[in-house]
Amino acid sequence: MTTIALMTDANLAAAAVSCAVPLLAFGLVMVATRRHPRLSAGISIAAVSLSLLGAVFLLASNWHAPAPQVWSAAWLVSDAVQIPLGVLLDPVSLLMMTVVAAICLLVQIYSLGYMAGDPGFSRYYAFMSLFAWAMLSLTLSSSLFQLYVFWELVGLASYLLIGFWFEKFSASQAGKKAFVMTRLGDVAFMLGLFVLLVGAGTLDVTAVNGKAAAQMDPAALTLAALLIFGGIVGKSAQFPLLTWLPDAMEGPTPVSALLHSATMVAAGVFLFARLFPFFSQSPAAMSVFLAIGTVSMLLSSTMAMVSRDIKQVWAYSTVSQLGFMIMGLAAGSYFAGVFHLTTHAGFKALLFLCSGVVIHALGTNDMFEIARKNGRRLKLAMVCMTLAAAALSGIPPLSGFFSKESILVALAGLDNPIWFAAGLLGVFLTAYYAFRLIFIILFPRSELAEPEAEHGIGTAMGSALVILAAATLGLGFAEAPLARFLSGDPAAAHAGPHLPWLPYAGIGLAAGGLLLAWFEFGRPAADQKGFVERVPALEALFANRWYIDAFYARMVSRLVDRGVAWLCAKTDQRVIDAGLDAASRNLIRSSGVLSTLQSGMIQHRLLVLFAVVVMLGLYFIA
Amino acid sequence: MPTVYADIPILSGILLVCLAGLFLILATPAEKAARIKKISAVSSGLTLAAAVYLFFAYDRGIGGMQFAEKIPWIPSLGISYFNAVDGFSLPMLLLTGIVFFTGVLTMWELTERVKEFFALVFLLVLGVYGLFMSLDLFFIFVWYDVSLFPMYLLIAVWGSTRKEYGAMKLTLYLLAGSALILPALLYLVFVSGLNTFDLLQLMAPGTFTPAQQRFAFLLFYIGFGILAGVWPLHTWSPVGHVAAPTAVSMIHAGVLMKIGAFGVLRVGIFLCPEGWRHWAELMALLATVGIVYGVFAGLRQTDLKYVIGYSSVSHMGIVGLGLSTVTVDGLNGAVYQMFAHGIMTALFFSAVGYIYDKTHTKAIAELGGLSRTMPRASAYFIVAALTGVGVPCLASFWGELVVFISSFKVYPLYGTLAVAALAVGALFILRVVQKTCYGPENEKWANLPDVSPGLAVPRMILVSVIVLFGLFPSLLFDLIRTASMPLMAGLP
Amino acid sequence: MIVPYSHILALAGIVFLLGMICTVTRRNLILMLLGLEIMLNAAAIALVGASLRWMAMDGQAMALFIVVVAAGEVSLGLALIVCVHRSTGSVDPALENRSAPENPSA
Repeated sequence: MTTIALMTDANLAAAAVSCAVPLLAFGLVMVATRRHPRLSAGISIAAVSLSLLGAVFLLASNWHAPAPQVWSAAWLVSDAVQIPLGVLLDPVSLLMMTVVAAICLLVQIYSLGYMAGDPGFSRYYAFMSLFAWAMLSLTLSSSLFQLYVFWELVGLASYLLIGFWFEKFSASQAGKKAFVMTRLGDVAFMLGLFVLLVGAGTLDVTAVNGKAAAQMDPAALTLAALLIFGGIVGKSAQFPLLTWLPDAMEGPTPVSALLHSATMVAAGVFLFARLFPFFSQSPAAMSVFLAIGTVSMLLSSTMAMVSRDIKQVWAYSTVSQLGFMIMGLAAGSYFAGVFHLTTHAGFKALLFLCSGVVIHALGTNDMFEIARKNGRRLKLAMVCMTLAAAALSGIPPLSGFFSKESILVALAGLDNPIWFAAGLLGVFLTAYYAFRLIFIILFPRSELAEPEAEHGIGTAMGSALVILAAATLGLGFAEAPLARFLSGDPAAAHAGPHLPWLPYAGIGLAAGGLLLAWFEFGRPAADQKGFVERVPALEALFANRWYIDAFYARMVSRLVDRGVAWLCAKTDQRVIDAGLDAASRNLIRSSGVLSTLQSGMIQHRLLVLFAVVVMLGLYFIA
Repeated sequence: MPTVYADIPILSGILLVCLAGLFLILATPAEKAARIKKISAVSSGLTLAAAVYLFFAYDRGIGGMQFAEKIPWIPSLGISYFNAVDGFSLPMLLLTGIVFFTGVLTMWELTERVKEFFALVFLLVLGVYGLFMSLDLFFIFVWYDVSLFPMYLLIAVWGSTRKEYGAMKLTLYLLAGSALILPALLYLVFVSGLNTFDLLQLMAPGTFTPAQQRFAFLLFYIGFGILAGVWPLHTWSPVGHVAAPTAVSMIHAGVLMKIGAFGVLRVGIFLCPEGWRHWAELMALLATVGIVYGVFAGLRQTDLKYVIGYSSVSHMGIVGLGLSTVTVDGLNGAVYQMFAHGIMTALFFSAVGYIYDKTHTKAIAELGGLSRTMPRASAYFIVAALTGVGVPCLASFWGELVVFISSFKVYPLYGTLAVAALAVGALFILRVVQKTCYGPENEKWANLPDVSPGLAVPRMILVSVIVLFGLFPSLLFDLIRTASMPLMAGLP
Repeated sequence: MIVPYSHILALAGIVFLLGMICTVTRRNLILMLLGLEIMLNAAAIALVGASLRWMAMDGQAMALFIVVVAAGEVSLGLALIVCVHRSTGSVDPALENRSAPENPSA
């Protein structure tokens, strides 16, 4: 392990400013500038730009000296529990910080166009700043306590933003669902942290990754790892907590682009990378993670294949790609997972933003409707979307190809070939569903609707698209420098067996998926019905999300609402209260009995008097 | 523990300001409602200022009892008028000051029998302040009962849903609690042989045998526990919350329930540590049941205030769990949670009170879309709800976290259950938020006014306190530690 | 002594008991008063017997006192009973058997 260096003042200042400025923006907008939308947006964007400058500065100044630097102060001190507030600058946190800040800025600029005219404009930007603060602080956290705090705050921002259009019942429902499901994961996360705290005595990230955890009892270590992974399952929407993410698409599209594709849900993967040395010490836990990632990836790919809603497809795709990243990390390749996280942030955000342009212009999410309304005339959006879809599918020379290949290499290095096979299947399905969507929009089948008035895409929205498209094109070539930066070893990019045929296998499968999509959806003679849709039972299974949602709904209704909750409420009424009411009624009744003594009859009193005197007499004589 | 005597009797000053306010109100004719309200605001503001001053003037380096005042009252029985503050009672004083002041401001629009209402509230808060300050067992009991009786009148006259039933139930339950406390108190005083009611003298190790401590602690735990909402003796609390008028609910849930937990701490734990250790596991069990029970029972409620009432039961369970761990961390977390929950629940009731004043209904099914009609009022409600859910950087989180950590170390099973209850807690509170605040605007409430700047003042104060202590928890933890560490160190 | 003192005490006791039963069980104020008289007479019998036993005059003197006091008390008691009868219409000691006054001037 590299040694820990003390942080330079410049670095600390940059980190502190980058994190704190969005918080100030949030406070300012919420309290003072609610009625001035343009000012609110300006404050928020200025804050995030400062954060991005800080992030870039940190990344540049530490590019060649990636030794972790730590600074911490006490936040809460209470005997054995001591929670520090700290900053940890190491390669993955610097990279993540830059990614987060960049995408925050691009999405906020994009929102100038997308959210223009919305009555909650200022509130939107305030919540965006809140999210930026929480996410940036999360990436720089030096202690797992601190990370948990910001983990929850990010979830709060997600809740507020998903339910942003709160007058729609479905939006507030989705926000609540997201919060509660991630909260379930967070419960496991917190318990895992406690197990870790008891076993290792500290929750400092560098200590946990180092000696402190190595001394832990292996069973406790595995338990802690599994529980902490529970939090990752919740936040990154993996199986079995994956259904909140598609519902989260109720929020505005820029929110989906920022939170639910590029950054917040990636926090789970970031945590995995952050604790990678710790998790690696438990092979049993790593195989569980691998299994969960694989299942999530395949399951959500199937759901994407039958979806009609453009945002839902990309949401399922996000779940799938996160699963893919987790597979890479769990297979033992730190670099593969982080690299795919970076590239995915770029092209997935681009996909969402393009979809946002289309939705904003045409007013519908349904891809067949979009096709009917001649969506393909939105040229910039369609070009960028096709580019991004190609990157998603792993087509060279786009960034997605490089990152997917490194994960496949890692998977190939495992003993059991099933993981590699699953990875290849995932590549095929990804290309299939991505291009299904593209071809449906590009080649409409039904009657084209009357063309509406053309209004061009605004500069705000357009510039964001272009920048992200450039990133998608170029990031792949940064693979080697990134590998060297992240682990100090350029060969880490290809950790695993050297299989020359592997890239071709990946390309081949991606091309296969694309061709199948073309055959079923793009071809002029095709009837736009996929092979899955020909099997109604299968289609129903995928469309209903493998009935996971139905299962949860029934469980909440039966077990929680009508089960335990009913029991508790009834106990209060029927057992505790009724018991007390019965006791008091009996008390009243017994006092009724006793009150017959007070009959008011002088003869009774006389009798009692006589009896007492006789008894006294006997007592004193006898 | 050192005892520092005060030059200026600020503590008695607080009590005297309450008394003076009470007499001024009684002297004002009933028609001059505005003047009565102004007197109340000024008096409560003065007590708040004094509490804030004490909070910052307390010397955390020395610790122990500070600002002490002792006057012999009935020397032949060993009763003295003995006030002091330490790291445990100072947060409670601050809490009382804040809730009192904001409670008075919240009731600014009261029109019915203003004079009697504020007079009773002053009497109530006088008792509360006195109890937190007092170090003499006799006076602790007296203040307990002084704070008890006004509750009955306040709920029975100015309350709403089932007010007579709620008032009667609350008063009877709490009197039953005091019926358990008084014998235990007298028993300890009698059996110590020291002929004194002074807490500090009775605290000396070796005064009581372990068997005596076990017996007395059980009585104290049940007696004060009734007031603290310990399961299964908690059913008076939701009914009382619902029936009471807004400021009374704020004071009741915010401060009165804390008297119960504080009583267990100040009287039970200080005097009977051996009993504390013996009954700790039972305390932990009941507390955990209370936490889980509160969130599940809250799911089935259809009345807004009932929801908050059950949430209170759950949060007070967290306090109980912290107290049952017999560790410094547990004590710190419990006292912090007492403070944070008090402020949070005051904000909750303040927000709900405004909604009820305008819509005249507390049924969740009838409300909806309030974020569009009255955005500020629902914002306060949402902030309180988020605090209740346990979102970090809002005060309640830190107390819960520290309690969970310490209870997990001592009772892993109970700690796990308590943490798991967080998920259900989030569900039931967010459901209520969704049904009342979100959704399309309800035409019934479409024309209601939002919170005016004047009425926003108390609510903003509460929100600021929550955020302040959420971002800087050590402000409070440093203070509490000065009391909890010597206490645990001094135990045999 | 012609009659052993214990026999006189036993007689006085039985008469007292009879008087007590009469007082306690009869539903008529006059008969309650009668019972009281019987109890007083029982006491007088015991006193006279004691005077005979210890050959002192005090017992007989006290018996004469009792007779005088009984006379006064009976006249007062009967007067009260007449008042009660006039105002409530019955001489039943139980409160619920009385009815409202017939002539308010009583």
